[in-house]
Amino acid sequence: METPVSILSVKDLVIKFNLRGKTLTAIREASMDLYKGESLAIVGESGSGKSVFNKAFMGLLDKNGWVESGSILYKGKDLANYKTENDWLKIRGKEIAMVFQDPMTSLNPLKTVGKQVQEAVELHQGLRGEAAKKVVLDILKDVGISEPEKRYRQYPFEFSGGMRQRVVIAIAIACRPEVLICDEPTTALDVTIQAQILQLLKGLQEKYSLTIIYITHDLGVVANVADRVAVMYAGDIIEIGTADDVFFDPQHPYTWALLSSLPQLGIKGEPLYTIHGTPPNLFKEIKGDAFAPRNPRALQVDFVHRPPYFEVSETHKAKTWLLDPRAPKVERPKSIENIRAQWGVL
Amino acid sequence: MSTMLNKPNDGIDETLFTLAEYDARAAELGGYSNYSYWRSTWQVFLKNRTAFVLMIIILVLLIFTMIQPYLPNQKLPNEIYLDPATKMQLRNHPPDAEYWFGTNSIGQDLWARIWSGTRTSLYIGVVVGFLTAILGIIVGAIWGYVRRLERLFTEIYNVFDNIPTTVILVLLTYIMRPSLSTLIFAMCITGWLSVSRMIRNMIVIIRDQEYNLASRCLGTPTGRVITKNLLPYLVSVIMLRIALAIPIAIGSEVFLTYIGLGLPVDIPSLGNLINEGRLVMMSASLRYQLFFPAIVLSIITISFYVMGNAFGDAADPRNHV
Amino acid sequence: MNTPEKLLEIKNLSIEFGKKKKRFIAVNDVSFDIYKGETLGLVGESGSGKTTIGRAIIRINETSHGDILFKGRRINGKIDRALDQEVIRKIQMIFQDPMASLNERAKVDYIVSEGLYNTRNYSTEEERKKKVEQALLNVGLLPEFASRFPHEFSGGQRQRIGIARTLVMEPELIIADEPISALDVSIRAQVLNLMNDLKKRLGLTYLFIAHDLSVVRFITDRVAVIHKGRIVELAETETLYKNPIHPYTRGLLSAIPIPNPKLERERQVSFYDPGTHKYEGDAPKWVEAEPGHFVLK
Repeated sequence: METPVSILSVKDLVIKFNLRGKTLTAIREASMDLYKGESLAIVGESGSGKSVFNKAFMGLLDKNGWVESGSILYKGKDLANYKTENDWLKIRGKEIAMVFQDPMTSLNPLKTVGKQVQEAVELHQGLRGEAAKKVVLDILKDVGISEPEKRYRQYPFEFSGGMRQRVVIAIAIACRPEVLICDEPTTALDVTIQAQILQLLKGLQEKYSLTIIYITHDLGVVANVADRVAVMYAGDIIEIGTADDVFFDPQHPYTWALLSSLPQLGIKGEPLYTIHGTPPNLFKEIKGDAFAPRNPRALQVDFVHRPPYFEVSETHKAKTWLLDPRAPKVERPKSIENIRAQWGVL
Repeated sequence: MSTMLNKPNDGIDETLFTLAEYDARAAELGGYSNYSYWRSTWQVFLKNRTAFVLMIIILVLLIFTMIQPYLPNQKLPNEIYLDPATKMQLRNHPPDAEYWFGTNSIGQDLWARIWSGTRTSLYIGVVVGFLTAILGIIVGAIWGYVRRLERLFTEIYNVFDNIPTTVILVLLTYIMRPSLSTLIFAMCITGWLSVSRMIRNMIVIIRDQEYNLASRCLGTPTGRVITKNLLPYLVSVIMLRIALAIPIAIGSEVFLTYIGLGLPVDIPSLGNLINEGRLVMMSASLRYQLFFPAIVLSIITISFYVMGNAFGDAADPRNHV
Repeated sequence: MNTPEKLLEIKNLSIEFGKKKKRFIAVNDVSFDIYKGETLGLVGESGSGKTTIGRAIIRINETSHGDILFKGRRINGKIDRALDQEVIRKIQMIFQDPMASLNERAKVDYIVSEGLYNTRNYSTEEERKKKVEQALLNVGLLPEFASRFPHEFSGGQRQRIGIARTLVMEPELIIADEPISALDVSIRAQVLNLMNDLKKRLGLTYLFIAHDLSVVRFITDRVAVIHKGRIVELAETETLYKNPIHPYTRGLLSAIPIPNPKLERERQVSFYDPGTHKYEGDAPKWVEAEPGHFVLK
């Protein structure tokens, strides 16, 4: 069997922001490997840092943010050291491209769709004029836009939400990137359009050998597209594994809480399992496990020492003291066991 | 911290591996932020050095104009001073130790006149600024929020807008005798228009936001929606407008004086002083009579403009980073 | 068995926007009833008209044809002041975006009491304070939060403040317009539990407007599916999910992603072709396919 090749390797990344004179630590020593050709889903709620984490790979951090420590190794280069726009221009588009959440604001309303895709083609594939236009029409066909000749001359406002997102995807793949980062690509779309867009992305991934990172909070989307899943909480990746690992054998209490609280899995008449409280204040330094105050199954050590990764299997690891051999045997909540039974996993 | 632990050799106390007590209430108190809008606005404003310095200068100026009459050895602004030697009017006496700013063409002390004039002009500016703001806000708010009256108000605005302000100012000052109150009245009548338009435009933008719909669902009457929901968002814009209105009003007063419709000569104002100075500016030795009031006017105008704009920028929450 | 009381009846409601050539029919001949004590789901995609219906019930939008009856009395169109006051008290709304639905410049105390001030539903200041305190406790917030401003709270907490604001009016019907769409996944569970709990304790009735069919299954008793201004199917929740009849409903259900990787890989999506139903030609018929299960044919 082929050993997967890691094309992006993040180690102990720390990203800070300067907000109104105070320092906020948005990413706290997060580590992750991205393997060629896979679909990795990064799941987290607001404040988990998932968008910031991915923006760091393209140098899109806001002006008041910076990489404090850690490394982002991409094809032998450490992106964490990139400071100037020139450095990033070699990465953006050509190597790593991004699809944003809101197709309404991602496109320039004053230029025709064809022109916008063509700009990307001319910039990254070095073609001009008629040759470029032909490539554009091919790409438009690839992303499922019918009548590309007619659509080429139209403006974004003449497209529906789903079609606009297809155009955004077209611009992204026109750059022929290695890695495509999709930041909540379907959150703003209706559910039927969502299904189409996800299908499209999977098709493009095969055709162009893309490696895709999906950032989302929707576990249904994750189950649909992801080979591997990384769960983020308070700026750290607290559990990472294959989709089967994370859905059917979750180890971190936050992952349990996340899975249990899905309304789709609730039993009518009984309250859903919830996590009380709110995520921690990232302005303050966090001692121990960030999830501990909200965790009914926290150990005392969770408040004192930060847990390292514990390996559950070759593909699956989680940052929780519960996996330490010294920890008492804590049963997963009934809700998780119910889910596993429901899905016939046991 | 991606190490893999096979044997526990990190020196952590074994007894810590027991379940901790869970406090649900403590979990609820997380994520509290003590961001205060006005405090952030003030902090961003202070970062603008120029605006801060000018603000200090204006404050000093203001305090000084108020206390100047009570300082020792001050002369009266309207009194004509006589040369002790010739017992004649001390005309056009250049600045010296006794008369710090010199005297004007009929022997009045320019130092006293300038501060008296500044007091008057600032008074006019502030009163007109506030009155036009109040009138403009009332009209603009109703115009923007009450949809049934929108067309009516737009037509009224269009009518008023098409009448040149200069014509109205001239007419009013001509009909009513020139005095402080006439001037203030005339400037208010013409000044409220632009304020109301600005307020109306801003209200149209925020009137359909969800929190205003919520207030409507709860039955909140129009008046309270305007005062508690809409105007608080406009406070920074309103203050900016008042800050700019002051130099604008003073400028209008100078202009009116120039065309002969300003205040009577026995009420000194920056307009009068500049006009008098203008009359003698051809002669080099007498230029000080234009120089001093012009400097004071410039300081006031520049300061209010810069401060006003800096405050407007600082009040935008997007700049609170 | 006593038939449950009909709290709200919508009869042949149509809502149009614009005039003459630019007329847009947002809601087209919609009829349904809401019974006391139930949670009725109204599900549709964006632009289907579901929010418009909700806002018409609460009298923010005007209606063009048809009636909305609350406890037998017509509440759309021009009504007298006494009935208007009653509607304000008895029918309340929860909004979608917790970041936009609270007045940032007002304290939580004022926000929650706003309705009380309007209807003067209290006799002394003490009583008003008590009502606010009770409402905050009911939604799981601490009473000391009353002196704070909205920006100091998280999205889930703000949404709960919005709910407290409606509860203090002691309403009978609450229209929840996508109340959890803008919230994080784990917070949604909090709010859904809260809504169910309040329904049991205070005897509330909900109209739950949503675009997410997976959420709706958990919280509703009956569901109406709306597509381009028309209700295409109406049934008890379990019946609808197990046996959807209208092709649009089937398409919608098949498109929902399931949070289970194994099942997801096998899921087939069927896409609804709107061309199969040309309502301009033949008038649509509202047919009862089985007891309680209605479909538009």
